Amino acid sequence: MTAKQHLTRFSAIVLPLAAVVGMSSAAQADEWTPTRNIEFIAPANPGGGWDTLVRTTSRVIQEEGLAERSFGAINVPGGGGAVAWAQIARDSGNPHKLFATSPPLILVPLAGASRYDHTDFTPIARLITDYSIVLVRNDSPYEDLPSLIEAMEQNPQLSVGGGSAPGSMDHISMAGLAAAAGLNASDVNYIPFSGGGEAMTSLMGGHVEAVITGAGEASGQLGENSQIRALGVSSPERLGGALAEVPTYQEQDIDYTFDIWRGVMGTPDMPAEAVAYYEDLFSQMLETDGWQQARDQLGWIDAYQDSEEFGAFLDEQKEQFSTILGDLGLLGE
Amino acid sequence: MEALNNLMYGFSIALEPINLFYVFAGVFAGTVIGMLPGLGPISALALMIPLTFGMEPSSGLILMAGVYYGAIFGGSTSSILLNAPGVAGTVATSFDGYPMAKQGMAGKALAIAAYASFIGGTVSIIFLMMVAPLLGRVAVSFGPAEYFSLMVLGLTAVVSLSDKSLVKGLIAAVVGVMISIMGIDLQTGTERFTFGTVHLLDGIEFLVVALGIFALAEVFYMLLKGGGGKEQPRNAIGSLKLSKSEVKDIAAPIGRSSILGFFTGVLPGAGATIGSFLGYSMEKRLAKDGDTFGKGNIKGVAAPESANNAACTGSFVPLLTLGVPGSGSTAVLLGALLVMGVSPGPAMLVDRPDVFWGVVASMYLGNIFLLVLNLPLIPLIAKILDMPRPLLLSLILIFCMIGVYGMSFSVFDLLLLLGFGLLGLGMRLFGFPAAPLILALILGAIMEESMRRALQISGGDWSIFIDKPISMWLLIIAALSLMLPLVKQAIKLAKARS
Repeated sequence: MTAKQHLTRFSAIVLPLAAVVGMSSAAQADEWTPTRNIEFIAPANPGGGWDTLVRTTSRVIQEEGLAERSFGAINVPGGGGAVAWAQIARDSGNPHKLFATSPPLILVPLAGASRYDHTDFTPIARLITDYSIVLVRNDSPYEDLPSLIEAMEQNPQLSVGGGSAPGSMDHISMAGLAAAAGLNASDVNYIPFSGGGEAMTSLMGGHVEAVITGAGEASGQLGENSQIRALGVSSPERLGGALAEVPTYQEQDIDYTFDIWRGVMGTPDMPAEAVAYYEDLFSQMLETDGWQQARDQLGWIDAYQDSEEFGAFLDEQKEQFSTILGDLGLLGE
Repeated sequence: MEALNNLMYGFSIALEPINLFYVFAGVFAGTVIGMLPGLGPISALALMIPLTFGMEPSSGLILMAGVYYGAIFGGSTSSILLNAPGVAGTVATSFDGYPMAKQGMAGKALAIAAYASFIGGTVSIIFLMMVAPLLGRVAVSFGPAEYFSLMVLGLTAVVSLSDKSLVKGLIAAVVGVMISIMGIDLQTGTERFTFGTVHLLDGIEFLVVALGIFALAEVFYMLLKGGGGKEQPRNAIGSLKLSKSEVKDIAAPIGRSSILGFFTGVLPGAGATIGSFLGYSMEKRLAKDGDTFGKGNIKGVAAPESANNAACTGSFVPLLTLGVPGSGSTAVLLGALLVMGVSPGPAMLVDRPDVFWGVVASMYLGNIFLLVLNLPLIPLIAKILDMPRPLLLSLILIFCMIGVYGMSFSVFDLLLLLGFGLLGLGMRLFGFPAAPLILALILGAIMEESMRRALQISGGDWSIFIDKPISMWLLIIAALSLMLPLVKQAIKLAKARS
């Protein structure tokens, strides 16, 4: 429980009703529009990735006057998301309840820690993506990914820290990378920390040899005077900004990419009209200046998919993840 | 000199009228939030994020930092008056603060808490200013092995926290460790002690246990022993003034605990709660009248209060110099800063000196505001004790329940609260001390996680705990602190015989 113990668990904001009339989605008579305020759930404590997504999108939608009703951010932490999923799954058909989601919605159920998985909910839209980044200390002997991989091959004890539990995002990402580079997925000595920040601190202090974490989270740590440097990112093409110098895995002849996508889902069997309304709302939001500014500040990359594409994408992800989890022996019953 | 120039620059920002207002608003909101059990600084900070949209980053951080240390400052009030800790960092304050209140010295306890908080806060800001850039290195020097050894050292305090029976103290500590490891195990993903319910997957919230075992158990105990309403109200605020000898008594503990607290705060993950416990148990061991700790010793209020405020300031070191949040509250602050377009980290001191120095300067002001704000309020707030007993007990009950429900919106947690209240009552009736349980609960999970992480890094080789110098010294100090009382006793015995 560590520092999480001291986290108080609840917080909610209800953004004031956007009093702007004459929105671009000027409703036609037969189109569905929300009849009350929308509960937008972050299945975690304040401060994390889901929470930031929920609060940022709620704010942009309000500031840009995109919706007739306001979005209230609600934190439902517990079980890596499982508590919130269990609650939302009971609210079948409710068109006023959304939640932020990302790979744990697939990984947690695969590990056997949630009865509900993505097939129980209604996909609305994929919004953004982040990528994994492999970091070492500045004075580390490893100059590129192949040299790190080679060292891991020779010394299976070589410690690679990550910001999440075994079998979750960072571990899967690293195991997949190792497998693509010719090692066994289970040969990675993965050390779980309770957050990317903690993992990076451990790296700076020389307690682990390498760290894998989200590129967005790491970008603030890189640059001049930094104690750490990056060996590679899991994106198909180079990223911008502070990460422009960091080569992709593929540039280093490791044919592997990994997305840390984030999106929005709704209650089970949400009516199709409501899904269409939200799809449209979020795709409009992505076009606004307010969003683009916030997105760049947070180091996110737009990766919009509509409900149908997102659903198909989730199915693909599940297949990919089950293979790696199987190799790691972490598949739950 | 450079630090002084920088500080002057910081004050030029903090003294801008709008920022002055934010400091005041922040600490005022923080104090109120801290006084109410359950509504802690983290949820308050998360609530404030939307308010900071569009603000200058320095103003936003000044406001939010004010809420954070204001809450720790104000958190002692309900610990002392009601035995119901307002925030986790003030649990240790109730050990002596509440007995003082019961003895009619509520005013004095609150005043000491305010002075100690003020000094702890101010001393640590001086540290933050002078050595923050260097301290970044201290923060990262603690890896899994070092954390494990630090937690071992912390746990040796169980001995001093078990007043009568060491065995009962150890039993309580073991129960505390067991509660601390409930939930999903981070290393393997295995569920432990969850009894198949999702409500326990993340373990049990610390404040649920603390409110149950202290506040609720106290209510039950009074109901059992007191017979509601018969006793006259104690008109029990007492004087706020400290005598010269009392000032002399608490000066050294406040100084020591401020420094200890600051360094505990600097370590990511340790924070105000551990800082206050370490401060408390250190002073209990150092004090000549250590056996009166837990019965209303003024040093037992001064030490944890200065330590927790110092730790709160200390936790800004990893946030501002490394960009790494050391606690839940600073994680929310980090998120807020990112949204405002500032990435804290090594480059921030150079790129955004206004944010760093503005906040540091605002903390000086904030601590003065807090003292000025809190002292005159003490007689008013302490009047709560004049209430007739049945009313007071109901009030504590309501406070605890609102606090717990407000944290999680979970009825399950209310049942847990009741359960821990009954456990606390049972422990009291059978003479089991509660403090070791709480201490073990705070330290247990970090200790276990760190140990397993360290062993995973070393490939199962236990020598990692001795090979690392910091870890070795911490273990040696832990061993000494366990042996010293035995040696002392042996010498005494030998002397008595000869």
